Amino acid sequence: MIAPEYVATLDPFGDEAKKLVEASPPLDSMPQEIVDRAIARVKWSSREMVVESDIEAVRAEVLSFYLMCQGVAAVSYPYSREARLISDMTKNTIKYRMYDLFKRGHGNLCLEVVKRSIKLVELEGGDGIKLGSIEIPREDLYKIRDRRLAEDGIETIDDRLLPQYLPRYAVRWTDLAPLLRHRRAELTKFYLVNGRAVITPRDLWDLFSAFIAVRTEEYVTSVYERFSDVGAPPKRLTEVGEHISSLLPPELELRERFARVPGGKLRPESFPPCVKIAMGGVGSGVRNYAITVLLTSFLSYARVSPSGRVANRIGDFIKDISVVRDEIAAPIFEAAERCKPPFFKDQPQEKANVYYHLGFGMTTEPRLDGSGKSKWYRCPNCSKIAMSAAPLCDPDEFCRNRKIKNPLTYYFRRLSEQRTGAGG
Amino acid sequence: MKMREATPEERKQFYSEEWNKRELPDFILHTLSLREFGFDLDGTGPSHRYNQFMTVEKLMEYLQNKAPYSVFASVALYDQPSMRKGWMKSELAFDIDAKDLPLKSCGCTSGNVCERCIDEARRIAMEFAETMSTDLGLRNIVFSYSGRGFHIRVIDDAIMTLEQTERTQVVEYVTGGVIPTDVTMALGYSQVFRERLARTFKGLDEQRLSKARGLRKSVIQKLLAEKERALGAIRRGRLDELSALGGLGPKTFRQFLDFLVRLNSECTDGKVTIDTKRILRLPSSLHSGVSMKCMLVRDMERFKLEDAIPKFVRERES
Repeated sequence: MIAPEYVATLDPFGDEAKKLVEASPPLDSMPQEIVDRAIARVKWSSREMVVESDIEAVRAEVLSFYLMCQGVAAVSYPYSREARLISDMTKNTIKYRMYDLFKRGHGNLCLEVVKRSIKLVELEGGDGIKLGSIEIPREDLYKIRDRRLAEDGIETIDDRLLPQYLPRYAVRWTDLAPLLRHRRAELTKFYLVNGRAVITPRDLWDLFSAFIAVRTEEYVTSVYERFSDVGAPPKRLTEVGEHISSLLPPELELRERFARVPGGKLRPESFPPCVKIAMGGVGSGVRNYAITVLLTSFLSYARVSPSGRVANRIGDFIKDISVVRDEIAAPIFEAAERCKPPFFKDQPQEKANVYYHLGFGMTTEPRLDGSGKSKWYRCPNCSKIAMSAAPLCDPDEFCRNRKIKNPLTYYFRRLSEQRTGAGG
Repeated sequence: MKMREATPEERKQFYSEEWNKRELPDFILHTLSLREFGFDLDGTGPSHRYNQFMTVEKLMEYLQNKAPYSVFASVALYDQPSMRKGWMKSELAFDIDAKDLPLKSCGCTSGNVCERCIDEARRIAMEFAETMSTDLGLRNIVFSYSGRGFHIRVIDDAIMTLEQTERTQVVEYVTGGVIPTDVTMALGYSQVFRERLARTFKGLDEQRLSKARGLRKSVIQKLLAEKERALGAIRRGRLDELSALGGLGPKTFRQFLDFLVRLNSECTDGKVTIDTKRILRLPSSLHSGVSMKCMLVRDMERFKLEDAIPKFVRERES
């Protein structure tokens, strides 16, 4: 018998999981076994992914999931390598659990959870399966089965496993838009008839787990934005995050870093509208905020992309001060010059204030060993920008559609989508 | 038919005497105030953007006063079209321009069009629409003649909120722009790919094939000599037979397929489809470059170019 709460192990964003979290102490005061589990999750092999069907095991599972996400949000940024790692691992975990449950005869439980996120049509068995007015040839159904078996590298199959490979459902392709957007699914790989993709249970678990992976990345983003509002994240979370970061596979780190920002340069074409406005120079009412608050924090965090440890000192993430002088401060000073009237002409002391906000104290000659003399300010959230410097906030389609809450989320998300093949 | 540029006087005549608001398609008329209008007033490009018209009468007044060289309306609907702000949704649009078709059976030089290549564009537009209907389940698909080709505009609600990445994937699907893992299935993308590949292969000649990397002259000649057999193999999904016909090794064959797929993709300007803020020629307006009327096409099977000839052209030719 499987407890009703068990579905939380398949859908950590469902109501059952939320209730468990609400009834638990804060995540930053979790016992050591939960902390250990949050870290271990990113290295789980298949059997470790399975959760016992008792309430305490389910609770530990859910809490460790949230701790893992919040830990990563504490030490990295939206769509970072760490965020990708935990979302991919979550996808594998959910998928494995679904396979496992299906194999043990609990396919209906999986289906019940999946149906909350994906609208399904069950294909009628027997001859002449139709979608709308179009009949699907039997040979095609066998080919869908065989293709899926080949994908999983299965050459011989038993009766227990076979049902997972038989085309059984149809889903609207437009319902899969979030997966297409993140390139976690490809339209040309679906067998589409009359607007629906014909899929096997295996495909269904894949799609569902991909949905959870997308939501995991979005959750990390929302926590990151929350930390931007409240300041430094709790120590326990940063410890978990640092530990997870240290477990990043080196090849993933290299590949992702290379793909994200070749040569570590900023990509102004992916800046959010507020930053573009600030870069273009603004009037006297919002100059101060645009230059010393928004641009210093945005450009520094965007350029340095601090991850692996909590971002207290910029010096922990760079080896050469020229990064600060030439790639961060220089464009800020140029933007200041474009202000009307030019910012430093009236207020020359503000030049030192730029470095102050970058964490070098009040100076105009920053040195790497001076990093940490003052606080390295985080990028303000959109709500704060709109309140403090309304003319800077001119949201575009991307801001609105992605419900962006922080300018850095905009930037990292844009880069992430370009990396995963967004067209133009 | 000779397609020559309209003079300012002819434009004036067109918008004063011939343009009729009843020729505006309903899907534009009903959302007129939510669309951004763009104008090319003198043939130098659509630099007059960010226009909004609250009523069709105001639009008519503008057209009659300015007699623009070209008129465009956005595929997007906005809260504030005059600022291009408050994006609500966008049609899924395809631009199949006869002048840019990668393979033409007519002798038109690049950038020019004739009745034959316009007809080729028409057939491609119909193929795309068929795929969107049977495979993607889209129902509200409208065509318009754009002066040098055709626009397909899909206005199903389910796709109007799609963003660039999803639209890119739709373009890949509809054009046959990706090599599938299985080309033998009767339906689905497998079928789309075979059809697109066959159409492209059919249109190849020696000059074009010589641009495919790795194909020797003898192989090109062999493929062309055996074109019908090759086409049969493609239609049956027997790419192995196609490869054997040309005696191509796996690497060269892959390069050859990539070459064909690229040509498939070039049948439409993908940038138009993925751009959710694109402006397209307004059906009912004049394409002054060729003196033809852009118009909604209700029946693509029976489309006749003569229907798009404005009165002033008939008069000058009679």
